[in-house]
Amino acid sequence: MEILSSLWAGFAVAALPINLALIVAGCFAGTLIGALPGLGPVNGVAILIPLTFAFGLNATSSMILLSAVYYGCMYGGRISSILLNIPGDEPAIMTTLDGYPMARKGQAADALAISGIASFIGATLATLGLTLFAPLLAKAAIYFGPADYFALYVMAFATIGGISGTDPRKTLLAALLGLMLGTVGLDPATGVARYTFGSFNLYDGFDPIVALVGLFAISEILFFLEQKAQDRQLIPKGRVFPRMSRVKEGLGASLRGSVIGFIAGILPGAGASLGAVMAYSFEKRLKDKGTFGTGDPRGVAAPEAGNNAASGGALIPMLTLGVPGSGTTAVMLAMLISLNIQPGPLLFERSPDLVWGLVAALYLANFVLLILNLPLIGIFTRVLGLPAWGLMPLVVAISYLGVYAITHAAFDLMVMVGFGILGFVLRKLDFSLVPVVLGLLLGLDMENNLRRALSISGGDFTVLLQSPIALLLYGITAVFLALTLWLSRRDSKAFAAKGGR
Amino acid sequence: MTDRLAGICFFLLAAGYVWLSAGYTAGFGDPLGPSIFPRVIGIPAVLLGLSLMIWPRHNADWAGADGLLRQGAALLLLVGYALLLEPLGFVLSTFVAVLGLGLLMGAPPIRGVLTAGISAPGLYLLFDRLMGLPLPALGTWFG
Repeated sequence: MEILSSLWAGFAVAALPINLALIVAGCFAGTLIGALPGLGPVNGVAILIPLTFAFGLNATSSMILLSAVYYGCMYGGRISSILLNIPGDEPAIMTTLDGYPMARKGQAADALAISGIASFIGATLATLGLTLFAPLLAKAAIYFGPADYFALYVMAFATIGGISGTDPRKTLLAALLGLMLGTVGLDPATGVARYTFGSFNLYDGFDPIVALVGLFAISEILFFLEQKAQDRQLIPKGRVFPRMSRVKEGLGASLRGSVIGFIAGILPGAGASLGAVMAYSFEKRLKDKGTFGTGDPRGVAAPEAGNNAASGGALIPMLTLGVPGSGTTAVMLAMLISLNIQPGPLLFERSPDLVWGLVAALYLANFVLLILNLPLIGIFTRVLGLPAWGLMPLVVAISYLGVYAITHAAFDLMVMVGFGILGFVLRKLDFSLVPVVLGLLLGLDMENNLRRALSISGGDFTVLLQSPIALLLYGITAVFLALTLWLSRRDSKAFAAKGGR
Repeated sequence: MTDRLAGICFFLLAAGYVWLSAGYTAGFGDPLGPSIFPRVIGIPAVLLGLSLMIWPRHNADWAGADGLLRQGAALLLLVGYALLLEPLGFVLSTFVAVLGLGLLMGAPPIRGVLTAGISAPGLYLLFDRLMGLPLPALGTWFG
């Protein structure tokens, strides 16, 4: 009941004209960004953050806009997967497996409708899950002390790489690099300038927003220039209206995919990509009779429901614990921190308007997205015909004007370009960027919690291991690390067997 | 091979980071002090960098010569755009940046000029005039 009345109040916030306008604009922009190959939710949200600052939107409206963009990207990512066989963003990779074959058989309209409805089911169920579970987790998290938070951050950094199969040492190094970058500037507790090398520009440290735009948007440009420009072949949509019979085939798969994706989304570091992969492979194991990979509607529905549900699930740890579960939620966390709002269990008590307004806005966004993605899908398929040489430079210009508008300093533009180069090199070397961002964002808070725990104990380090919650979290961390090390040793043997070095 | 290089870089970076932390001292009431946390994160990074140097596992493929050339040119454009945004003003610097990047990405020259010519003043009008973000229309060199 308490949840219902909170949600009702949330709808009152979400239904304000400015917020409604932001939902529609965010859904449209998100679908567009998601549909364009090369740009995904992380880049899209990163580019928009400086703009939300510059326009002086309040925290609730900014979060509503960014979340609408986030959900929109998840819907939009499928469009180029199906029509071009190029995933619009990483989580949409699995959708190419059956979506593109369907399009080649002249069933593009069916595939788009099935995946649109699957996205709706996944995102709506995940929002429902968010409504039910986030307050519970927030209540549990109130009992966390400083030592427990320190343990939680250790766990977040250790598990953020997920079970993605990249070298776990690199994930940890990336996180440590982020933490190191986070210590640059004046130490808030003592006022000592650390790692500034005498530059006054660095006294405030690196602005996470500037770093993010560089890491995600600018590095993408450098990546894009790797290959020679090539023409994209758009598949004609075939029949205009989808057949209801085909759409129905995907419903069961959508429901199963939603549940799997939602769970994958809550896990730290797993995120939407894993949600899509797990949903697809589960569905395949359950139902495949040799039709998967040749254009089976269930193979389209499951991963789409999975990645959309995961993006809703990923909001839970970000809002309740302040520890994001994916790259995009990490970027959103950066914005909240910059607005002086510390996500965590107290957020639900201190800013109910923000939390419930956001949740209500997500329900509304799903309906807007359903309309944009079924009857109005033609707009977005036409956009895919636009050439990259026209769009990517505009991304650069918008990044520059956004960052310049909040800092008014050419120095920060250089910092942005510097982070762009860093992001490019790290990605080339197979380092993930999300741990870097997390380190940069959470480093200060991690240090503060360590300090708080130690000043309570008078400098005795064993205080870190005295709380049962902390011990449980370290236990989970240890199990997870053992698992990833075991998995990566298999990869390492495979690498040695190939004679690599 | 690239893993070894990355390992060496991380090792040197983290070692320097830990070494510098020794210089950060502060007085009372703070049992941790400003130098402990950098050591808590720096020392594992030293070890992991070392491990990556000794046991590499991945080798990056870099772009071909023309790809690297395009990336280098783009980098020059990006740095130039950052440095010249204030002196040249938003409209002119954006025109050059959008045109240059567009050409690098394979834009046909005339359509590239048209795109940049429309988008640079267009973005200015949209964001400065319509949405109220203050951007320098004409740079300090002209004012």
